[in-house]
Amino acid sequence: MSEMKEVNLIIVGVGGQGSVLASHLVAMAAIKDGLHAKVGETFGAAMRGGAVASHVRLGKEVHSPLISKDGADIVLSLEPLEGLRNSVKYLREGGLLLTNTRAWSPTDVNIGLAEYPDMKTIERAVKKLDGRTIIVDATSLAQQAGNVRAMNVVMLGVLAGTGKLPMSIESLKQVIRENVPRGTEEVNLRAFELGLKAVQQR
Amino acid sequence: MGIAEVIVEGAPGKRVLLMGNEAIARGAIEAGVGVTASYPGTPASEIMETLALAAPKLGFHAEWSTNEKVAFEVAAGAAITGIRALTSMKNAGLNWVMDMFMTLVYGGVRGGFVIAVADDPDAHYSSNEQDTRFVAFYGEIPCLEPADQQEAKDMTRYAFELSEQLELPVMIRSATRLSHASGDVELGKIQKLDRKPVFDKHWKMPYRWNVYGPPGPVEKHRWLHSRLPIAKKAVEKLPWNKLELKGRPKLGIIASGLGASYARDAARRLGLEGKIAFLKVGAPTPLPERLVSRLLKVVKTAFIVEEGDPLVEFQVKALAKDINPKVKIVGKLTAALPPVGEINTDIVADTLAKLAGVRARRDKARELARAEVSKLVAPRSSTLCAGCQHLGSYWALKQALRKLGGRVPIVNGDIGCYEQGGYGIFSKATKPSFSAESVHYHIDSPYETLDTNYIMGGGVGLMQGEFHAGYKDGAIVAVAGDSTFFHACIPAVINAVYNKAKGVFLVMDNSWTAMTGHQPDPGTGVTATGEPAKILCIEDIARACGVEFVKVVDPFDLKATQAALEEALKFDGFAVVIARRACTLQVQRQKKFVGKRIVVNPEKCTSCKLCVSLGCPAITFKDKKGGIDLILCNGCGMCVQVCPTGALSIGE
Repeated sequence: MSEMKEVNLIIVGVGGQGSVLASHLVAMAAIKDGLHAKVGETFGAAMRGGAVASHVRLGKEVHSPLISKDGADIVLSLEPLEGLRNSVKYLREGGLLLTNTRAWSPTDVNIGLAEYPDMKTIERAVKKLDGRTIIVDATSLAQQAGNVRAMNVVMLGVLAGTGKLPMSIESLKQVIRENVPRGTEEVNLRAFELGLKAVQQR
Repeated sequence: MGIAEVIVEGAPGKRVLLMGNEAIARGAIEAGVGVTASYPGTPASEIMETLALAAPKLGFHAEWSTNEKVAFEVAAGAAITGIRALTSMKNAGLNWVMDMFMTLVYGGVRGGFVIAVADDPDAHYSSNEQDTRFVAFYGEIPCLEPADQQEAKDMTRYAFELSEQLELPVMIRSATRLSHASGDVELGKIQKLDRKPVFDKHWKMPYRWNVYGPPGPVEKHRWLHSRLPIAKKAVEKLPWNKLELKGRPKLGIIASGLGASYARDAARRLGLEGKIAFLKVGAPTPLPERLVSRLLKVVKTAFIVEEGDPLVEFQVKALAKDINPKVKIVGKLTAALPPVGEINTDIVADTLAKLAGVRARRDKARELARAEVSKLVAPRSSTLCAGCQHLGSYWALKQALRKLGGRVPIVNGDIGCYEQGGYGIFSKATKPSFSAESVHYHIDSPYETLDTNYIMGGGVGLMQGEFHAGYKDGAIVAVAGDSTFFHACIPAVINAVYNKAKGVFLVMDNSWTAMTGHQPDPGTGVTATGEPAKILCIEDIARACGVEFVKVVDPFDLKATQAALEEALKFDGFAVVIARRACTLQVQRQKKFVGKRIVVNPEKCTSCKLCVSLGCPAITFKDKKGGIDLILCNGCGMCVQVCPTGALSIGE
């Protein structure tokens, strides 16, 4: 558990990957541990496949639902390009990008109007912003846990594994158990543990 | 525990995470609301979605109405009988309500009536940035503006009491960053009001509910005006208007609603807390004038922070003339804050730093690094979903228009998922044209189809004006969705028939109000609370309106859809084509549709890119060959119909 009095993190992904639920789980766990929480959401018009970013602010006193430029301690990214997009805008010096490896290619790239940056390019870019990148193949770990859709919870495990959250891992696990769809509790908790270990083994 | 359980839970004192819209719904539930009605609109939809989850359990009425005006009237009707009522809508939704709104206030209400409006500064989900607080000012009713989710709940609950005290509707003004943000909220007690609806046509005023009944509109306007001093007195005591003033600081902030959240974070970041005066405003109209005056008497500069247009700033300026004419007032009117778009902590902090004479952090090297790195970030343009039936409708329309000849058609658009038909994402950079003649522009993809687009139902009206103007350079077409048809198109269809307009009206019917999150409409077959409902057929309504050409097609069948549109374009009159297929996403969710597997044969691909021009996000084009992203593809088979060489085919 971190001693930081305020933690600002951005959880990003593509519509359908579960970034909104992930951000709510983090906020609920913080509230459980007596903190205040704000989650500001931005998502595009499309229901699936649009860029989604949730600004999560945890601490003793938080007001604005949005994180400032250079204000994100962590960008937790379910999709690499979205991780880069938000790191460029928000990651502070010394901040951390935690990203899944699996790309969800945008239409602009699919039809050859733009290029998708590879993982090395993303790492270098974040370094240029004085940030650090941790890369995890969360999609595979979710499959290993029993359901590819639990990828968002694998990434929550990765987040918890950094030790930078201001609340206990137990609270986060309890909130996951209480809020994922019924019948998927075990898969999700397995997914969480796999993410946790992936970071702790580094 | 899902939101359905949380929202009806008694548990006063419990702290839970609620979205702004859920908090507004909970506030209404705690106030013992009896009737609620709304029409979907981002960012307001979750207010009714949440109420509809709670309604069957708590026994109040919740409905998706056909449009905002009807929703407003449903709620107002309940309030006239003394029952607490709420209507919710997005910014543009309130425009539909204006006629009833401006007249209802002349007689007011008996039961508490709350109008919850979610504005959209920065137009994230909207066609404009209007600040609806001005509507409350215009209609002489109080407006409460929450700064966070806790206030959203508490203010909504209180708004019912204030409404009953004043006998007037009360507005709750939210904004995207509040409605679509979540925060910790301490729950309150759920009141059970066992009210019996009553009716008294001369309640406290003759012909109270009939604006023309004696004493007539002018006397009723006088009555409305008499409410203002009572409202002013009430707002001075609100806990959400709060002045922090120690000593005689030179600088003061007056910040309303969300603006107060940004201003507080900005002041904290700059270390100015306690060193400046801070008035947090919870009621932008009527303004707590005594509190504002106390601040104006002390400071040399007052910085007004508000999301939207300068409503508070105008009023503070007017007040300062009497209280302290020397005080400098800065805000949106002085360009200290940008007059368009939304504000945030960074923007407020920049101005605040200048006013307070402290250094704002700025790192040029970092800005440069950021600019360089941002070049690597590929865009993720908004598209229609993979296998969306609108892709088929647009493809067929494009082909039918092309077959008609290479002239300049006008395709009038509308608001809904299909509005993306005007996003232009595949087109090359566009430049303004100054041609004196009609100009033909190539349609590369569905995203270049729509030529006009403003509001719900607007296209089918515009097309009639284009026809009556004598436009002859190409076909005249309008498109709209099913929910929009019920919401806003029926009078325009009747008008087309009655006034002899000619053209094609394509209704893209996917049986849901899809873009706002799949709320049911009169064509869906269920109500807001999930009860089965009668399905209204658009073709029956069109025929009943006197339309003589009405065809229903399946947009997945590109040939049939194109044929129907070609026939409609040749029809000498007003033609309606209904492209009907339930929203692909919704069907996938209900696991009803098992698509076919699309097989790619690169040998046969001639790089013609026709598949790309279908606009489906599951289509790829790499190394000069068309392909399919099998994770996204749901096997609708439209691309197979588009491919002229058989490089795409349906597998076993």
